[in-house]
Amino acid sequence: MRIFGKRKSRKKSRRVVFVGIDGTPHSLITRLVAEGHVPNMARILSEGTYAPMFSVYPTVSSVAWSCMMTGVNPARHGIYGFVDRKPGSYKLYIPTSRHMTSETLWEYLSKQGKRVIVMNVPVTYPPREVNGILVAGFLSPNVDKVAYPPEVSARLKSWGYRIDTDPWVARKSKDDFLVDFRETLAARGRTLLGFMDGEPWDYLHCHIMETDRLHHFLWEPMEKADPVYEPAFYDCYHQIDDLLGEVRRRLDDDTTLVLMSDHGFCTLRQEVYINNWLRDAGYLSFRSDEPKSVADLDPSSRAYSLDPGRIFVNLRGREPEGCVSPGEEYEKLRDELAAGLLELRDPDSGEAMIEKLLRREEIYHGPQFEQAADLIAVPFRGFDLKGAVNRPTLTFKGNELVGMHTYDDAMLYVQGHEFKRDGFSVVDVMPTILDIMELATPPDLDGVSVV
Amino acid sequence: MGNQVGFALWFTGMSGAGKTTVARLVERELRDRGLKVEVLDGDIVRTNLSKGLGFSKEDRDTNIRRIGFVCDLLSRNGVIAIGAAISPYQSIRDEIRAKMDNFVEVYCQCDLDVLIKRDVKGLYEKALSGEIKNFTGISDPYEAPPDPEVTIYSDRETAETSAARVMAKLEELGYVPSSEAEESYSDEEKEMVEDRLRALGYM
Repeated sequence: MRIFGKRKSRKKSRRVVFVGIDGTPHSLITRLVAEGHVPNMARILSEGTYAPMFSVYPTVSSVAWSCMMTGVNPARHGIYGFVDRKPGSYKLYIPTSRHMTSETLWEYLSKQGKRVIVMNVPVTYPPREVNGILVAGFLSPNVDKVAYPPEVSARLKSWGYRIDTDPWVARKSKDDFLVDFRETLAARGRTLLGFMDGEPWDYLHCHIMETDRLHHFLWEPMEKADPVYEPAFYDCYHQIDDLLGEVRRRLDDDTTLVLMSDHGFCTLRQEVYINNWLRDAGYLSFRSDEPKSVADLDPSSRAYSLDPGRIFVNLRGREPEGCVSPGEEYEKLRDELAAGLLELRDPDSGEAMIEKLLRREEIYHGPQFEQAADLIAVPFRGFDLKGAVNRPTLTFKGNELVGMHTYDDAMLYVQGHEFKRDGFSVVDVMPTILDIMELATPPDLDGVSVV
Repeated sequence: MGNQVGFALWFTGMSGAGKTTVARLVERELRDRGLKVEVLDGDIVRTNLSKGLGFSKEDRDTNIRRIGFVCDLLSRNGVIAIGAAISPYQSIRDEIRAKMDNFVEVYCQCDLDVLIKRDVKGLYEKALSGEIKNFTGISDPYEAPPDPEVTIYSDRETAETSAARVMAKLEELGYVPSSEAEESYSDEEKEMVEDRLRALGYM
C-alpha cells in the first residue's frame, strides 16, 4: 500500500467532501504528483492516505459507481452495465436510478437527518429524493430535469451548468473536445463551489466525469508523448488541481476530504467484438443480415454478448426463445465458451486477448442474480470487449476511442486517516464514509470500512 | 385506464408448481400498472364457488368449467381474469380456450420428484401414503399442455423471473401496454441517451 505522509491520528469529523475523479488511475496521480503537475493534490495527499483500489466486473462506470453508492455487489443493486436485457426478453434497456434496487449512501444519510448535496454521479437519473440536493449524472436528458428538487435547475443554469462533454465532438476533433472539457469542468467547479459556499450540508459529493472522457479520447497520445496532446492532457489536470485547491482552501477542521476514482485506464489496442467470435464459432446467428442488436438473434443461437464482455447463454426458461437446457448442457456450454475465448488471439500480434472468464456465481450474490450474465470475460490490458453485433471483423482499432478501463488501479484517498488494509474495492467506500462520519453502517452491506 | 383489454390468464400445473405464487406477482404488477384484475385461485374457489365438489374427474371438470365461466364473464367486461388451478385435463382446458376470445395459458412446469421433495403443503406425503385419493401426479394424471403461450419453471427460475416472463409475453401479445411508457425517458430522450452511449462506445 502506498501511503503518503506521516502517521496520522484518526480525524473525527461530522462532514465529508467527496470528489469523484472518474477513471483516474492511482498510478497516473502518483506520476502527476512526482512530476509536479498537481501541487494542490500533492499537498492534499500528504495529509492523508492514498491507495490503489479494485473496481468491479464488468468494469464500467455505471456499475462501479452503483457499487460505490450502495456498498453492495451488482446482484443486489441491480446495475450490470450501461445497457441490459429486459427480464424475459432480448430487448435492451438503459438501467437508471429506477432500476437500482438498493438504498444509496445519500439516501441513508438523509434518513439519519444529514443534509446531502450530490452532483453528477452516474445512474442517479431520474433524481431520487434526498434530504438536500441531488443533481443527476451524465445520462440526464437536460438541465431542467436533472435536479431534485426541480427548482435547483434555475441555479444550475445561472452557473452555466453542463451535464457532460459531447462525445461526438470529441470523436471529430480532439482540440474541440479540449475546449469542451475546460468549459464543462469550469461550470462543474462553479457549481461545486457555489453549493459548498451557499448551502448547508453534511455530505457534499461532486463527480468529475470529464476525466473519463479525456482518457477515452486522449490517453494514447498522452502515453506516446504526443507533442501537442500530452501537454494538453496535463493542462486538463492542472485545471482539476486548481479546483481541488479551491475545495481544500474551504475545508474546516470538521470536514474530511475524500477522493476516489472508480477504475484505472490504459491505451486501447483493439476493440474486440465478442459476438463476431460467437457467430463465427457457430454459437450465434441472426434473423437478419444487418442485425441491430441481440434482439435480432435467431432462436437457435446458444449464446450472445453485451458490453463489456458479458456473455449470456440462451437459456431455456429464462430467455424467451431459450434453447440451452439448464443443468448439464448449460454448464458444458459455459466451459466450452470459456475455453474458446481463452484461445482468442489478437489477429495482429498473435497475443491472447482474454485473461480469464468468471462464472457469475463466483462474483455475484443477491436477489438480482438472475439478471447477471452467465460468464464475464476479463481481458488483458488493451483489449476492449464490445457487444456490437454488426461489425465486419473480430477486432478494430480506430483513432477516436483510444483509451479503455482497467479493473485494477482505481484509487481512494482519505484525509486524516490511515487505511487498515489494502486490496479493497469500490464496495468498501460507502462503509468507509459512514465510518469517517461516525455513523452506524447498515447491517447487510457487502463492503467493509477501510479506516 | 378506459380501454383495457380483458383476457383470461390461465395458470395450469401440479400442486406446488408455483401457480399461485407467480399469479399473485403478475396480479400485483398488473395492478401497479393501473389495470383491473381478479384472481380465481383453485384452492379458494373450492371454498365457495365450487364448495362441495370432490376430486373425481367429473367434479374436477365442473370446477374448472365454473372457473372458466367466471373468467369469461370478467374478461368480456374488460377485466383481466387470472385462473390458477391444477386443471389437469387437456380436453377441459381446450374447451375453455375455445369459448373465449382472449386466452393465455401459462404452464407451470416442475419435475414431480422436486415437488415431492418440496411438498410445501404436505399433500404429496399424504397422497403417496394413500391418505389422499385421486391426487394429481400421484394417483391421477396430469396432462401437460402441448402448446402453452408461456412455460415457467419453478425449479429453475425465481418466481420474479417467471412473472417477468409472463408480463413480457402479455406485452408481446398486445394484451397489456408496454412498460416502456413508464420508463425513465421519453422516446426522444431515449434516442438522445442511446446516441451518447454509442458515441462513447457502450452500445
